[in-house]
Amino acid sequence: MKNSISLPYLAVAALSGTLFGSGLYISQMIDPLKVLRFLDFGAIPSGGWDPSLAFVIVAAIGVMYIGVRLSKRRNAPLFDFRFHEPVAKQLDAPLVIGAVLFGIGWGMSGICPGPAITLIAFMPENLMMFLGALFVGSFGGTYVQDRLTAKQVTA
Amino acid sequence: MESFSPLGALLGGAMIGLASALLWLGNGRIAGISGIFGQLLPPANAMVWRLVFLGAMVAGGFGAAILIPGLGVGGPGGEPVQLVGNPLWIVVSGLLIGLGTKIGNGCTSGHGVCGLARFSYRSLIAVIVFFVVAIVTVAATGVV
Repeated sequence: MKNSISLPYLAVAALSGTLFGSGLYISQMIDPLKVLRFLDFGAIPSGGWDPSLAFVIVAAIGVMYIGVRLSKRRNAPLFDFRFHEPVAKQLDAPLVIGAVLFGIGWGMSGICPGPAITLIAFMPENLMMFLGALFVGSFGGTYVQDRLTAKQVTA
Repeated sequence: MESFSPLGALLGGAMIGLASALLWLGNGRIAGISGIFGQLLPPANAMVWRLVFLGAMVAGGFGAAILIPGLGVGGPGGEPVQLVGNPLWIVVSGLLIGLGTKIGNGCTSGHGVCGLARFSYRSLIAVIVFFVVAIVTVAATGVV
């Protein structure tokens, strides 16, 4: 049975989410200050820079790369009919504009969406406010995205 | 570099990579958290697995903090986690992150981990842009 509410499908989602959340705690990427200490390149000369985030992302890419290689030998994942590859292949303005906006927000607070979710386990002050804003921003983005697409079609 | 923690970073990172590989090989889904979070509402018809995944992310962080306490922040034996900035600062940051990841189709996990491992050109550009902009933002605002 291949559908997204089958037991194996949901078990994979649960296991993957558990590993993801544990990894964020073990790497301490749930700590906004630790993320900001990576982004603070101004601290490199004084020795106050924390390169941990680079180690996290390189290790994650290395393991995921093996997964990607394994997936090339298959036509479909174990519990679905196809790999849901992102559709867009070309560089476009929304990609770059989006990355700029995300970069500003991330540099302000040191929180990316992953840690924001896992932080629910630790409930720091103002987290709910952040998640509310993340939600509003994301769904506002759907509207902007629709407008941008419509513009491209008419242009 | 007193806060540098290479072992925890490598182990935690490998776990995040394994989580991403598992979701890809098992369900053919990209473990991009902004995407999973941002498609929670209708018209998304597959919100069940997304809720399961996000709930498990919370449980996983909580469980790891109980099993391996005192690594840094969070859980018993750890320092309490604190967000940086006043409520207005935090809200503006959240809005920008939500908007940016939606328009740009991904964040640190979707573009950074999954995209780069798939050699996606779009993801590479997105990662370079958001890292550079975040580094400039930290330098400009001096929040650290």
